[in-house]
Amino acid sequence: MKKVFVDYKKCLACKSCETACAVEQHPSHTLFGALGDTRTQINVRVLGVEHEAFPLSCRHCDPADCLDACPSGAISRDEGSGAVLLNPDLCKACAMCAMVCPFDAIAFKQTHRARYGRDVAYKCDLCNDRIKKGGTPACVEACHSGALVYGDFDRIRGDRAVSGLKCYLLGKHDALPPLVELFRELRRKECLRRRGGE
Amino acid sequence: MCEVGCGKHDHRSADPAAVEMLAIADREQYATQWSRYEQQQPQCSYGQLGTCCRICSMGPCRIDPFGNGPTQGVCGATADTIVARNLARMAAVGSSSHSDHGRKAALLLKAVATGANTNYRLTDTVKLTAVADRLGIATDGRSFPEVAGDVADAALNCFGKQDDEPIIFLQKFMPKRRYEHLKKMEQTLLESTGATTGLLPRGIDREAVDILHRTHFGCDADPLSLIAQTIRCSLADGWGGSLIATSVQDILLGTPTIKSIQANLGVLEVESVNVVVHGHEPILSAKIVEMAQEPEIRLLAVAAGAKRVNVVGLCCTGNEVLLRQGVGMAGNEAHSELAIMTGAVDAMIVDVQCIYPALADLASCFHTRFITTSDQAKIPGAIHIQFHEDQADTISRTILKEAIAAFPRRNPARIHIPHHTATAIVGFTVEEILKALGGTPAPLIDLIVKGTIKGVAGIVGCNNVKVQQDSFHRTLTTELIKRDILVIGTGCWAVGAAKAGLMDLSAQELAGDGLKSVCTSLGIPPVLHMGSCVDCSRMLVLAGAIAEHLDVDISQLPLVGSAPEWTTEKAVAIGAYFVGSGIPVHLWPVPPILGGAAVTRILTQDAKEVLGGYFFVEEDPIITADKMEAVIMERRAALGI
Repeated sequence: MKKVFVDYKKCLACKSCETACAVEQHPSHTLFGALGDTRTQINVRVLGVEHEAFPLSCRHCDPADCLDACPSGAISRDEGSGAVLLNPDLCKACAMCAMVCPFDAIAFKQTHRARYGRDVAYKCDLCNDRIKKGGTPACVEACHSGALVYGDFDRIRGDRAVSGLKCYLLGKHDALPPLVELFRELRRKECLRRRGGE
Repeated sequence: MCEVGCGKHDHRSADPAAVEMLAIADREQYATQWSRYEQQQPQCSYGQLGTCCRICSMGPCRIDPFGNGPTQGVCGATADTIVARNLARMAAVGSSSHSDHGRKAALLLKAVATGANTNYRLTDTVKLTAVADRLGIATDGRSFPEVAGDVADAALNCFGKQDDEPIIFLQKFMPKRRYEHLKKMEQTLLESTGATTGLLPRGIDREAVDILHRTHFGCDADPLSLIAQTIRCSLADGWGGSLIATSVQDILLGTPTIKSIQANLGVLEVESVNVVVHGHEPILSAKIVEMAQEPEIRLLAVAAGAKRVNVVGLCCTGNEVLLRQGVGMAGNEAHSELAIMTGAVDAMIVDVQCIYPALADLASCFHTRFITTSDQAKIPGAIHIQFHEDQADTISRTILKEAIAAFPRRNPARIHIPHHTATAIVGFTVEEILKALGGTPAPLIDLIVKGTIKGVAGIVGCNNVKVQQDSFHRTLTTELIKRDILVIGTGCWAVGAAKAGLMDLSAQELAGDGLKSVCTSLGIPPVLHMGSCVDCSRMLVLAGAIAEHLDVDISQLPLVGSAPEWTTEKAVAIGAYFVGSGIPVHLWPVPPILGGAAVTRILTQDAKEVLGGYFFVEEDPIITADKMEAVIMERRAALGI
C-alpha cells in the first residue's frame, strides 16, 4: 500500500505543497493561470497546530467514512491506486462526507470541475493520474524538506523503525542540527506565550 | 495586566492601556497586528531561518535545514552564503533608512544656511559650534550661517564622496582607539587572507550600494566578507547617517533638554482636537507642534468647539518632539492602531518608517484623518498632503486645519480613552548628561570605577508582535537597574519604559542601592531617555566620550546593548554598529540567521575577538539581565575594577 506520509517535524510551513496542488489541479497547469482564480482547487492545507505545522489532506482511508456516507454514489475508490475519488457530476453537495471525515479534508466550492454553476465537494485525489503513471503526487514532489513522503508503507515503516531502534539499541540519534533544534524550541515557547501559557 | 480597569491579563501586551483597548478591539472585531499575526500562522521557517534566496530568477532556492535535501541553491550558494547575503541586505536597508533621514536634515541645514529656506532657523548655535569644532571647521569670526553651510557640506560629503578615506563624521567622532582598532583589523585581515576587507565606511550611500552590488547574483559568497561589509555599512549609519540626523536636527530644532512629560494613551483629551504625529522625521512633526500654538489655529479649534489642539507623539517622531517640545507621548509602535481605536484621534500625521499600512483602513472606520506627507511613504486609503520643507509653515497649518475639521465629526459614543499615563523625566542627551555631571564624564567614570554603578546598558528597539508588548522592555529594564546598572536608551523601548513609569523619579526606589544613591543626588531617574532611534548615535557619542576620557577602546568599557523586542531592518543596522563599535548586543527575537551555522558562529562568537562586540540571543528577560551583567562584570574584571 502506497501512502503520503507526513514527517511533521520536518514541515517548515513554506506552503510549496499548497501551490503545487493548485497548479496541478488548475486546467492551465500553470501558476499564473491559477493566480487569482477563485475556482482554483487546493486540496492540501498547511495548518498551524500550536508550534507545529502540518500539511493536511485526504488520508485516503480504507474503509473510508466519506465513501460510505455519500448518498449519491459520488465517492469511489480506485482499486489500483487506493485513491478515494470524488465525481463532482454526481455530488449533491449534501456535506455528509465532510461531516464524517475525521480530518476535515473535504471542502465545498464551485471548482473548475463543477458543472452547472454550483458548489460541489472537492478533495485530494492523490494525483491519481500521476501516480498511475508511476509518478508521485504534486505536493510530495514540491516538498523541499522531506516532510511529505510518498511510498510503500512497509518500506517507510521499516526505515522509520530502524531509525528509532538505532536510538534505543545503539544510542545513535538521528538528531536535528543543533541550531534547527534551537529554532524549534524557540518557536514552541513563542507559541506558548502567545496562547498565554507562560 | 490591566491595573486599573478590567484586571485582565493579556498575552498581547503588558501595557494596561493596551489591554483595555484590545478588549474593545476584540468586541468590535477590529483587525489588529495581533489578529493578522494569527492569520499568518504557520509562518514559513525558511524565511525565519534565513535560508530562502530570492535574489535571481533561477530561484527561489531554499536549503533543507535537516541536511537531507538540497544543500546549495541553483548557483551553488550554501546556506551560510544565503543567510549572510540576506542579513547584509537587511542592514543595508536599515542603514539607508536612518541615513536618508539624515540626508534630508543635512539638505535642510544647507538650505537654511544659504537662506533658501526661511521656515526653519539655526536654533542651537552652541551645538552648531560644537559640531563644527569637532569636524575641524573654523568658527572664529565667521557667521553662523557660514559655519552651518560648511557643516552641511561636510555632512553631505559623507554621503556622496568617492574616495576611499573613512567619512569625516566617523573620523572625528569615533574615539581614537576604536578607529585605530578597526584600521588595524583591516590590515590584519588583508595580511592573513590576502584579500581586502573593509570595516571603516568610505561613504554612507556607497556602503549600502556596495552591499546591493556584492549580494547581486554571482558576487560575494564568503560569509565573513559579507558580515564585514554588513558591519561597515552599519557603522556608516551609526557614526554617519544617524549621527548626522541627530546633530543637524539639534542644530535646527534645538538640542533636547531635561523635561517632564506624560506618556500613554491617557494624553489624548476628550475636549481637544487630538493630533497624533507618527513616524520618524521631526522636520515636519516639530513644525506641527509649533503651528498648533499659533493664535489662528487656536481660534479655529475653539470655533470648532474644542478646548485646544493637543499634539501628541507616537513612535520616534513622537520621541523627537517629546524631547524638544515636551508634548505628551501616546505610545510606541504597537500603540498606533490602539490610538485610532480610542475614537478620539482627529488626525494622525505620518512621515516615514514603521507606519502600518493597516492604519488607513482602520482610520476609515472612524472620523480620523489619516494623513501621509512623504513621497517615500504613500499609503492607499490615506489623505496625502505633500510636505515641502520650504513651505513647512503653510503645510503644517493646512494639516492642522484638516484635523480641526474632523473634530466635529467625532462619534461621542465610540470614544474611549484609557485613563493611563505615567510621568517621565526625559531629554538625557549627551550634552544634558555631561551638564548634570558638571561638564565632564569624570564623575560618572568614578562611580563606575567605585562600583556604585556597575556599568551602563543601552537598550533600543521596537515592539514586536511575537513578544508581549513592552513586557521584555519592562522586565529587563527593571532587572538591570536593580543590579546597579544604569539603563540608557532610545526608540520604542524608551516609550515603553516611560509608560511603565521607569523614567519617573519614583523609579529610583526600584534601583539597587548604589544606582539609587546616584540618581537621588543628581535628581534623575535610573532609566534615561536619549531620544529616537537615530539618536542611538547619542549613545555612541557618550560611549566615545567615556572611552576618550580614559584613553581606552569602547570594547573595554563595561557597556552592553540590547534590542529586546526588535522588528525592523533598522534594528539590524543598529545592532551591527553597536557590535562594530565594540559593544556586545542582546537580541530577541532571533534574527533570521540560524539556518547558517557559520554565520551564527561568526556573529555570536568570532566577532568577539575581531570587534570586541558580538551578538547573543536570549528569550528570558531575567536570564538576559544575568548575561548582560556578566558582560559588564567580565569587562570590569579585565579593567581591574
